[in-house]
Amino acid sequence: METRVSSILIVHPDRKTQRIVQRILGVTGYTVDIADDLEQGTRLIAHLQPVLVVVDGSAVLSPRIDEFFAAAKARGAEACMTLLGGAAVDQVPKILGMGAVTNLLVHPMPVLAEELTITAQKLIRNDVFGAEKYLLWGTDLSSITLTRASQRADLVAQISEQVRARGQSARVASMAMLVADELLSNAVHNAPVDARGEHYRRELPRDQELELDDRHQVRLRWGCDARYLAIEVTDPFGSLDRDTILRALAKNDVREHGSGAGMGVALAYRSCDHLVFNLAPGKRTEIIALIDVRHPPTERLAASSYNVFVERS
Amino acid sequence: METRGRMTIDAQGDALLIGGAIDEAAALHELVTRAQGGRLVLDLAGVTFINSLGVRDWIRMQAAAQKADIAVELRRVAEPLVHQLNMIIATRGNATVTSFSAPYACDACGREESLLIDALVHAAGLARMEPPPMTCPECGAPMAFNDFPERYFSFLQP
Repeated sequence: METRVSSILIVHPDRKTQRIVQRILGVTGYTVDIADDLEQGTRLIAHLQPVLVVVDGSAVLSPRIDEFFAAAKARGAEACMTLLGGAAVDQVPKILGMGAVTNLLVHPMPVLAEELTITAQKLIRNDVFGAEKYLLWGTDLSSITLTRASQRADLVAQISEQVRARGQSARVASMAMLVADELLSNAVHNAPVDARGEHYRRELPRDQELELDDRHQVRLRWGCDARYLAIEVTDPFGSLDRDTILRALAKNDVREHGSGAGMGVALAYRSCDHLVFNLAPGKRTEIIALIDVRHPPTERLAASSYNVFVERS
Repeated sequence: METRGRMTIDAQGDALLIGGAIDEAAALHELVTRAQGGRLVLDLAGVTFINSLGVRDWIRMQAAAQKADIAVELRRVAEPLVHQLNMIIATRGNATVTSFSAPYACDACGREESLLIDALVHAAGLARMEPPPMTCPECGAPMAFNDFPERYFSFLQP
């Protein structure tokens, strides 16, 4: 009788990348299988039980991808990660436009190793929450709870001051302000839903004072490990869903018109290097923005990674 | 000095000096009524960031100016605003940028600085995506432009 072992399947045409990804994901202890293209991947998957599949960005744009994803899901894959080499960042709008890719990693090595390992471990272990997973051991995270909507302005200013006081550039401080402001504003005004799923604070003026009781309080945590400045915002509603996120990330009218629903998320995504959504539906939403403080702008890609993790119950 | 939320407005000469954060309280579109002789001059050196609602208001201001046939001049545009002008085409409107801040870094001493570029004086070079040369204020060495010119100067392209 055949014994099938859980594994990770990589579909990538480049041999060198296959080896790099195989070495990185091999540390998880899972068997790593490799396919050069979707056709081979689809054939292989019939004999595998992959917990994860990792697919090259060009393969994602293939007309065969739906068939492949369906086969992976049928064989028990929990999630699919898409990799994009730095040279292919112009493919990001197309991939976003598909509205189906929940984990897109755009950075080359060595950042790829960090992003890939953390993403794989979170998916395999079903342990998705916490900015600590992205920061080095010992990094202190400051934590503040918003009890009034008007605290947002002070908190954003404080982050900027403290980021500057810790030696980071004005550029990093400015990005941190924008990201923190958007995520806090979303958590206070967009997250609250009633029993019918109505977002009852969405239309309230953002400069209107609101007392936030226990049910409405928003937690902000942030810290920096000299690789990343991490900003984490958590609300206790868990009303943000995968499709809403993917629509916001894909917004083309941000570039053309700069308006519409989801603009805050779209701007936050374009202002950081990695945006992570951790969702526990009906319980909490946690969004983590990572701003790379290691590399100068001339060494940073014109695209950002993102993940949408949904906690399995 | 006038305060609107986190934003400040101060009249100085022919310009309105805008500082702080441009957000939901900014009501920028109302500034169009303060145009003088068909010109609205905004000095933006003090802007720290602009959020999504501030962007929406900024676009309304540009539209209101166009409708009223008012020429908008943007002076000393701070880096956070340059990023928005690059990211969101609609924020550019018909405004003329006469000067803006840009990131430079010194290879010799490691200093990073946001330096002012006169967009009119350097127009020809900027059109070729060539940043003007700058000198490090700390050690006197030549500074390198600290971004991709094609990315950072894209807001100047017609």
